[in-house]
Amino acid sequence: MARLVELLLLLVILTNFIVLGTTRLSTCIRAVALQGFLLGVLPLALYPRGELHTWGLALGTVAVKAVILPRFLRWAIREAAVRREVEPRVGYALSLLLGVAAVAVAFAISGRLPLPEGARAMLVPAALATVILGLFVLITRSKALVQVVGYLMLENGVYLFGLTHVEEVPFLVEAGVLLDVFVGVFIMGIVVFHINREFDSLDSTRLSELVDR
Amino acid sequence: MSWSALLGLAIVLGLAPLLPGVAAKTRARLTGRRGAPLLQLYRDLARLWRKGVVYSRTTTFAFRVAPVVLVVTAVLAACLVPLDGRRALVGFSGDFVAFAALLALGRFALVLAAWDTGSSFEGMGASREVTVAAFAEPALFLTFVALVLASGSLSLGGALGAPLAAAWPSAAPALALVTASLFLVLLAEGSRVPVDDPATHLELTMIHEVMVLDHSGLDLALILYGGALKLSLFGALLVGAVAPRAEIPPAIAVGVLVAGLLVVAMAVGVVESVMARLRLSRVPQFLTAASALAALAVILLLVR
Amino acid sequence: MTLFLGGIAAVALGGLALVALSFRPRWAAAAFQLLVGGGCMAAVLPALRVLSGGTAGELRIRATVPGGDWVFGIDPLSAFFLLVVLGVGAAAALYGVSYLSSESGAGPVRTAHAVTALEIVALALVVTARSAIPFLITWEIMAVLAYFLVVFESRLPDVRRAGLIYLICTHTGTLALVALFASWGQLAGDLSFDALAAAAPALPAGAALVFALGLCGFGFKAGLVPLHFWLPGAHGVAPSHVSALMSGVVIKMGIYGLLRLVNLAGAPPAWWGWLVLVLGLGSGVLGVLWALAQHDLKRLLAYHSVENIGIILLGLGVGALGARSGAPTVAVLGFAGAVLHTLNHALFKSLLFLGAGAVLRATGTRLIDRLGGLGRRMPYTWGAFLVGSIAIVGLPPLNGFVSEWLVYQGLLRSGAMAPARAAVFGVAGLALIGALALACFAKVGGAVFLGQPRSAQAREGREVGVGLLAPMAALAFGCAVIGMAPAVAVSPALRVAATLGGVGRGAAGEAAAAIGPALTWIALTAAALLALVAAGWWLRTRVLSRRPQAWTETWACGYARPDPRMQYTAASFAAPLMAAYGRAAGVHVTREGGAFHTHATDPVLDGVALPLWQRVLAWGQAVRPIQQGRLWMYLLYVLGALLGLLLYLALRAGGTGP
Repeated sequence: MARLVELLLLLVILTNFIVLGTTRLSTCIRAVALQGFLLGVLPLALYPRGELHTWGLALGTVAVKAVILPRFLRWAIREAAVRREVEPRVGYALSLLLGVAAVAVAFAISGRLPLPEGARAMLVPAALATVILGLFVLITRSKALVQVVGYLMLENGVYLFGLTHVEEVPFLVEAGVLLDVFVGVFIMGIVVFHINREFDSLDSTRLSELVDR
Repeated sequence: MSWSALLGLAIVLGLAPLLPGVAAKTRARLTGRRGAPLLQLYRDLARLWRKGVVYSRTTTFAFRVAPVVLVVTAVLAACLVPLDGRRALVGFSGDFVAFAALLALGRFALVLAAWDTGSSFEGMGASREVTVAAFAEPALFLTFVALVLASGSLSLGGALGAPLAAAWPSAAPALALVTASLFLVLLAEGSRVPVDDPATHLELTMIHEVMVLDHSGLDLALILYGGALKLSLFGALLVGAVAPRAEIPPAIAVGVLVAGLLVVAMAVGVVESVMARLRLSRVPQFLTAASALAALAVILLLVR
Repeated sequence: MTLFLGGIAAVALGGLALVALSFRPRWAAAAFQLLVGGGCMAAVLPALRVLSGGTAGELRIRATVPGGDWVFGIDPLSAFFLLVVLGVGAAAALYGVSYLSSESGAGPVRTAHAVTALEIVALALVVTARSAIPFLITWEIMAVLAYFLVVFESRLPDVRRAGLIYLICTHTGTLALVALFASWGQLAGDLSFDALAAAAPALPAGAALVFALGLCGFGFKAGLVPLHFWLPGAHGVAPSHVSALMSGVVIKMGIYGLLRLVNLAGAPPAWWGWLVLVLGLGSGVLGVLWALAQHDLKRLLAYHSVENIGIILLGLGVGALGARSGAPTVAVLGFAGAVLHTLNHALFKSLLFLGAGAVLRATGTRLIDRLGGLGRRMPYTWGAFLVGSIAIVGLPPLNGFVSEWLVYQGLLRSGAMAPARAAVFGVAGLALIGALALACFAKVGGAVFLGQPRSAQAREGREVGVGLLAPMAALAFGCAVIGMAPAVAVSPALRVAATLGGVGRGAAGEAAAAIGPALTWIALTAAALLALVAAGWWLRTRVLSRRPQAWTETWACGYARPDPRMQYTAASFAAPLMAAYGRAAGVHVTREGGAFHTHATDPVLDGVALPLWQRVLAWGQAVRPIQQGRLWMYLLYVLGALLGLLLYLALRAGGTGP
């Protein structure tokens, strides 16, 4: 089981790299959908005793993160008729290298924190790396939809942190977090629609034109 | 100096021209064509051996000696790889630095030969070749570092042999990343899609092929053979990283190597039929991804 | 010791003889060559004796200035650097005699040769000084003499500017060194190196200040990024043998200083090891990247010196980390790699600069994109340059491969060393440096010597005389010897490395045992490479003698009238790499009408140093109003200072009163 958990967390880190290195929006969304799926399977791998609330959490996560949200984002792509990312502030190759550095930093920092033992040991570095990389995508990409993907990565990282204590945390809190994400993305979708209507483009750097001069 | 190592070397030297044939056949089959025969490269080499040579008046000694240097360095590099899963013909501490340096010497000779012709096409191919190499070398060395860390041995014979076999169970995820990274480096160094397309005939889109436009006859035969040998050496590295064969008898290990090389060639063919060649400005990104995978493997091994 | 002193005295005498015998130029040149060559050979013998395990005596001069006696001696570290100084110095000086003999009226040629001889003497004294005061004095003499050598063609404004930047940087470095020895000497009895070493454990914060100042001061001299910005200018405009001397020897004095610090003060703190490692990586990658962008042959070679200093610092950094983390094998291998690369770089870099000088002599231009096809007309120069290129890229069978292999050994073994395991990532950096160096020297060798001449100047090039070729041949021979028989150079390097960082004598033996068999195999591989290439060439010739051979124009995709201007230029060759690295490469492109120009800039000089200099000037301007030129204002300042001082004393006395 520990082997499976390690493998799943490694795949989560790799999906982060896919988002960092790809130029196409649909690949970004597919990567974050895959990440959501992996995150849904993780509680089952961590706690194989299979209590009801673990199963519920897993199914809910897969439903929201791997199915509903990506479908919603793909609808948003079709609505705004965008295809590729414009060249981001930090080039793709440099993003990949910084991503590696972020993972190294995450592992180095986690080495100094009191870690849970056993199968959950790699959770903290993976969570930290996903949070940092999600913030990185939010900061360096200028297309609003990719920034939403970055926000989703950030939330996934926070979710991973939560997984270290899934037995202790009541089901309701996790459901509440999931609802937060759901509502947040919906609001972002509406905002994206309006940005597109106003500027005829999804380049969020245009938002700075709204400043009062 | 064991007989199995010699056997492995002889077999790889003899079988090297088969690999591009297998890759081309796989690619052809997957795209609905019959494709050239598997042994086509052997026939090409025999035909070129019989032909005469045409030299450009601009060229000097550098042009004529480059193919010889290419093949000699590739053969010497082959002596450093443990082809029977246990020991290489020649092994010493830090020999993978020599491996990479020998292949780099071959590349250097070929690039100088390209300059020697005074043609803009060869110059373009040479320029792109060194650009690809500049991004592929760090990725290759990072995979070496990962293999060294996993196996604890500083020589290729140990990094791909018994110590690696002992380390596979505990270091599997990292070694899987190393395998992926090595495959990407193989595609780059072997001038395969998505870095370079060996089947295109437009000089403006080629990298390796356009660099050797002016060679003919025996020189071209040596260059083609050298390229095939380089591909099989990287394939041997890949097979060694994936399937450590230290526990099985040497003869069977060599057989496993041959099977592994054919699988690698088929995988190359599959990739060639599925992907298109990348724009030249995207190739650094592709190879940085290979470096990132290998770096991730090193991080995983450092925190183990 | 007496032999050494006699040798360098002979060198100095040779220089003076050249000036004194100016009425008989042939005798003067012969006397110079004999005395300088013979003196260097004589002075090298004690160094060789020390490196093979012997000892040399000591020279003590009673001094009237404070700071103790002036001591000169030869220990293994000094001996190794003496090899560098005397070997390359002799080659450069002898080359210079023939090189400048065709200069007429461009500058005082005889004085230049005399100053070269004196510079060699100063360099030899710097590495044998064993007390702080003579070290600093000879250091300053060396720096100033080097300035005079650099501005040989001082009628050109570019030369004067480069010389000025060099002078400012070297004096900033010397300032840091004075501060270093001043702060250290306070804790020691006198300023001799032995006393300083004894006082080292008492230095605060693990000798942090000493190492930081040392990095600044010696870093300026060595030319590590970002303190390198004087290097391309100075080495580019100097006469070629002076560039060889400076790149090969003078910047190594910075490395000597850093190594001497590690020798005297023991294992450096961990932060210093990491800093040196990172700076080495940065210097290596940025140095070769900026070299790729250059159009001028000598500036390109100068940037490569920055790159190789980076490689040396990589070895130094990993050695320091090993010494601090208690991994003596890593420490010894890292230090040995740094030390050996110093010697190797001195050999092949001077070879390359002397080759560039030959090209300049033959064609009159340094611009790579005006040359081409010189390999046919200057085959010996091309052969020497090729040897230097293969050596500098670090390919077998030459010496660059051996020292880079040693540094790789240090970096790889650091993976097992607990606190500093991340140093293994240096391997990727070193691989990147090697691959970029291959690109750069493929560019230079191909664009200058192969293909067709791109201008009339290149078409006129003729092979240079024996006076210029002989020193190149000697240096190439040195490269080949170390490459084919590495143990010859590696065991002295290991012995030197064992005296550094407090690792202890036994560590050298351990490291030697770990890599001994490998060195034999490397030698065998080098020999096998040459033998197989020769055999392959013979076979090929035999086979082709029975096949039809034809000669025609280059294929060039069937174009019938190829023009030399259609060849790939060096700038186009480097373009994909420059584009991949973007702004870091420092290339400015201007497009106007139908023309396209690329300018190579130095980002540190243009982005940091010059704006900083302008800022300092602006502050100076702001403070100017104090100096009005009116006498009564100055007297007012004096009165004000006096009153202020009295007030301060009164308040202090009042505070402590009853």
